[in-house]
Amino acid sequence: MNDGSVRKFYGWFTALGLLVGVLVGLGYYRDEYRPWKDYQRQFIREEIRRAATPDQRLLAQNTPIQLQQIILPELNRVDRCTTCHLAVEDPSYGGFPQPLAYHPLHDQHPFDKFGCTICHRGQGRATTAAEAHGNVPHWDEPMLPLKFIQASCGQCHEASDNPAAPQLARGQELFETVGCRGCHKLDGVGGNIGPELDRVGARRSPDWLRQHFLEPSAVTPGSGMPPQKFSEPDIDAIVLFMLSQTGANLPGFYASMKVIPSVDEGRRLFQQKGCIGCHTVDGHGGKVGPVLDDVALRRKPEWMMQHFRDPQSVSPGSVMPRFGFTEAEARALTEFLLHLRDQKVALSIPSLMAPPDRGREVFRKYGCAGCHGPEGKGGVPNRNAKTAQQIPALTFVGDSYTKAELKKFILNGQRDIASLDPQLPPPPLYMPAWGSTIKDAETDDLVDYLFSLKPKGEDLGF
Amino acid sequence: MKTPLPKRIWGWFARTGVGKSIFRVGLPQSNLERSQAMVSSFLLHVQPAKVNRHSLRASYSLGLGLISLYLFFILIGTGVLLMFYYVPSTTQAYDRMKDLQFVVSAGLVIRNMHRWAAHLMVLFVMLHMCRVFYTGAYKHPREFNWVIGVLLFLTTLGLSFTGYLLPWDQLAFWAITVGTNIAGYAPFIGPKLKFLMLGGNVVGQEALTRFYALHVIVLPAAAGLMVAVHLWRVRKDGGLSRPETVGGSVQTMPQGQLPTNKSYGLMELARGTTPQVGRDPDDEVFSWPHLIFRELLLFLLVIAFVLFLAVFWNAPLEEMANAIHPPNPAKAPWYFLGLQELVSYSAFWGGVVVPALLVTALALLPYLDRGRRGTGRWFARERAMANTIFSVCLAVAVALTIIGTVFRGPNWSWVVPWRTPPAITEGR
Repeated sequence: MNDGSVRKFYGWFTALGLLVGVLVGLGYYRDEYRPWKDYQRQFIREEIRRAATPDQRLLAQNTPIQLQQIILPELNRVDRCTTCHLAVEDPSYGGFPQPLAYHPLHDQHPFDKFGCTICHRGQGRATTAAEAHGNVPHWDEPMLPLKFIQASCGQCHEASDNPAAPQLARGQELFETVGCRGCHKLDGVGGNIGPELDRVGARRSPDWLRQHFLEPSAVTPGSGMPPQKFSEPDIDAIVLFMLSQTGANLPGFYASMKVIPSVDEGRRLFQQKGCIGCHTVDGHGGKVGPVLDDVALRRKPEWMMQHFRDPQSVSPGSVMPRFGFTEAEARALTEFLLHLRDQKVALSIPSLMAPPDRGREVFRKYGCAGCHGPEGKGGVPNRNAKTAQQIPALTFVGDSYTKAELKKFILNGQRDIASLDPQLPPPPLYMPAWGSTIKDAETDDLVDYLFSLKPKGEDLGF
Repeated sequence: MKTPLPKRIWGWFARTGVGKSIFRVGLPQSNLERSQAMVSSFLLHVQPAKVNRHSLRASYSLGLGLISLYLFFILIGTGVLLMFYYVPSTTQAYDRMKDLQFVVSAGLVIRNMHRWAAHLMVLFVMLHMCRVFYTGAYKHPREFNWVIGVLLFLTTLGLSFTGYLLPWDQLAFWAITVGTNIAGYAPFIGPKLKFLMLGGNVVGQEALTRFYALHVIVLPAAAGLMVAVHLWRVRKDGGLSRPETVGGSVQTMPQGQLPTNKSYGLMELARGTTPQVGRDPDDEVFSWPHLIFRELLLFLLVIAFVLFLAVFWNAPLEEMANAIHPPNPAKAPWYFLGLQELVSYSAFWGGVVVPALLVTALALLPYLDRGRRGTGRWFARERAMANTIFSVCLAVAVALTIIGTVFRGPNWSWVVPWRTPPAITEGR
């Protein structure tokens, strides 16, 4: 038997060999042709056009076409955005059409330390526009619309402390004032009627959040949350604040930015570290250390800073311990002390306030206003509740309860709310039991505050 | 007739000193050289110098075993390349998948090839088993080779299943969670078995490490060894099975009564049955080129098909694995979806009894079905009973798999694929 009978295979070999060759070529082409190379060529053409000297021209012509990436080990991110966005650091590209536009205002957030996606979100490792911008299936973090970019500041900075993020601060203020915490937990503080909000910014889109505030049951069928009435700028602000709640735990350097030296932060530290145990402010406090009201007149800021670093070094024999404050914390405390003569600052330390005023803070802290209205004036709807389908106002609560009864009511809550129509589903909102969350002293202050709500000289007549 | 150029180049090279030292026999010109080409080559000598015409018929074997073997080769090749980039760590594995897609040269195509070849291998090993069953090819003297085949089938499933976890995306995480949960339903040993597989009670870093070690060392080595034994036994049992009428594949030779007109090595006569040695059937052709050409052609075909899939369709990659966000429904890999469907009726019966019975029945098949008739022919009439039973089991398995794959939606409820199910608002 000779080769003759296998000759018929030669054609097949040729055809299949060519097919494999074509497929390999196709695979190579798809691998080799990447849209970002076009953007790089566009950039190089623009650089060549702008070149003023032959040297610059040569330099531009010799720019290699290659992938750019910012590796951020601490953040566990690799951002390849600059592969297309080549001119982010070149101000002369200001206003240039994307992807070659300049990125303004990055002095304090250098790209090699922060990359891009930590603020803008999206998919840093990707190298095609759609994938990188994250608007693809199976990617949870699409780019944040520029309108809401301040939400990202909240990952590292306290919302209220950042002058560059007024919308974020406004959002937080709204969150606290409106009383979202009455039903929702954030950072472990709040009620349990609605879902926790710690990661809401990573789970929900801006559109969803906006819808949710305007008409909650439209996106969450059966939701008992009352629709919120916000002005247009305010709804953006509160959505933005929600978007900032990503639950991301940023490491080291980034987390340290949480403390921006400011009066607010100083006041928080002052309260938290218990300075008032030894020092007197506004007539309250301990007698071990000096009175601090006018400390700003006596000491220079440098002295204070040194004192926070090591009390003994500027005040030999001092019994004040070394707290091990970070530089930022020491600076914040210094700021606070320098402003202590300002009455407003002093009075805003909770331990220095009168009980009803402290109670107002408690009312605010736990979001009571979310259900009972600002200053307990009521008016918040609760579908099918016997009390006129509304959550009761608290203005005259002092007439129906003793202080001990009211305290017990707050601690135990009331799970079952009487229905107006027994045929319909029971009212969605109820009084949570605050016993596990609220501190005992806070409850006392809160009760004092609630009793103080009754307008002077008014009586219901019973 | 003019000699084709590649053949001339080859012929020239094979005649040079270097060529001779490598190939020993150049391009075979005579029947003697055709035999020598097979016997003297390490790579080729696992195959006989001459092969029965029946074995070359594509309509008989369909090349299914060979296709499975080629897919295994492709998987080893692409798998090694992937190993250069892969890190079996829960924090890095997923990122490495993204890097393969976006920055590694040809990374995506290679991953696609690996993925599609893996699915195809499971499919073709199954088809190969069906072929062997329907042609009665597991019958004497090939009983144990069938058992090795069953073990190879299980190893293939194991390879695919362990590989499924490695991308560390949602698909991987939940498929393995579901798959190992099914294993956990076994009585007594189930929970221990699951713990052993996962190195814990849930899928995590320990599971990833174990699956990786199994996937890249243990199972491929086992599969490679068993493939070698599988092929070697095919050879020793006289090549592919064929009907009794096409020249008995083996002959029984009474011990001690060796033919005196020829001399044989002891190795060929170590057993009572031997390959065709006593006769010199006209029905055989030289393996070179008749077998080798067909094998090479089939290899090209398989490569072309896998490349075609890999160039045009990307392997799935979902969100990074997230233990607190189970997809609904969470599904096992497709070849276990029949099982998962059964489990949805009864965890014990579907997850334990049925698969255990099936595997046992498969492994014991050649010892249960001991009739010698009907070997080497498709759907032999003598085997109508066996074929019917097998077909029914197969049909049920396929139906269950199809139901589990396309007709099951959220909460394993019945859905019709051509109608979109009510959306689960996840809020994006």
